[in-house]
Amino acid sequence: MARVKPPFAATKKGIVVNLGSDERDLLRRLLGEVGELLTSAPIGDPKLARLFPPAYFNNDEAETEYQRLMRDELVASRLSSIATVDAFLADEQLKTVTFAQLDAFCAALNSVRLVLGTLLAVGEIDDYLDADDPRHDELALYNFLSWLLDGAITAISQNHGAT
Amino acid sequence: MNTSANRDNEGVNTPGVTLVAAAPATIERPAVEESISLEHPWVVLVWNDPINLMSYVTFVFQKLFGYSLEKATELMLDVHEKGKAVVSSGSKEKAEMDVYRLHEHGLWATMQQDGA
Repeated sequence: MARVKPPFAATKKGIVVNLGSDERDLLRRLLGEVGELLTSAPIGDPKLARLFPPAYFNNDEAETEYQRLMRDELVASRLSSIATVDAFLADEQLKTVTFAQLDAFCAALNSVRLVLGTLLAVGEIDDYLDADDPRHDELALYNFLSWLLDGAITAISQNHGAT
Repeated sequence: MNTSANRDNEGVNTPGVTLVAAAPATIERPAVEESISLEHPWVVLVWNDPINLMSYVTFVFQKLFGYSLEKATELMLDVHEKGKAVVSSGSKEKAEMDVYRLHEHGLWATMQQDGA
C-alpha cells in the first residue's frame, strides 16, 4: 500500500483520521454488513463463530447459561461500537476522533476482521499476499483492516504516552 | 450475572409471595460455596488464534486488566508462542465477567477451575 500518512495520527489538534471518501464508504458498507449479521443471523451461524466463542470447555450446562446471559449483551456492545464509528464516518466534515470514538474504531474494526477472517479461514501466514490465491482481493481488504486497526492502537498508545 | 439470586433470602416475610413465604423463617446461608471457590480459584485463559493482531491483544490486556505494557506484552507472547496463557483469576463471578469482557473485545477466552 503506497501510503505515507498513518490512518490515525496523534497531533496537537487531536487524533486526526486520514481516510478518503472511498475508504469511509467501504468501511461503512462492511460495518453495515456485520451489523446486519449481528441482528439477523441465526444463533450458531458459523460466520459469527468468532464473535461468540465458548466460555467453558466440557461444561454444556454452564456454557448454555453463559450464552443465555451474555449473548444479547455481546450483540448490543458490537452494535454500539459499529453505530459510533458509522456516525463518524458518515459526516465527512469530522476529521478528528475522541478517545471514545477511537476505542469504538478498535472494537468495530476487529469485529469486521473476525467475521472476514473466519470467512476466509485465514492462517498465521496470510499477511503475505499470493497473487495466485483465489482469496487475493479479500485478503487485501483484510490486511487493509488490520493496518487500520494497528494504526488505531498506535494512536491510542501515543495519546496515553504508553509507548 | 445472576448467580447470587438463589441465595438471597431477604424477602422471607414478604406477604403474598407464596414460594418465599413457604420457606423456613430463618435460613443460615451455608459457607460451602465460598470455601470451595477459595481453595480452587477460577482461572481465565486466552487462546492463540490467527486473526487477532499481536498489538491488539496487548492493547486489550492493558485496557481490561490495567497491566503494564511489559506485562501485557509478556502475556501476549505466551498466548502466541505457547498457545494459551492465564490472564486473570479469582471467584467464578469475576472470571465470568473477565471472560465476557475478553469476548466483547473478540479474544478467544475460556474459564476453568484451577486444579479441577
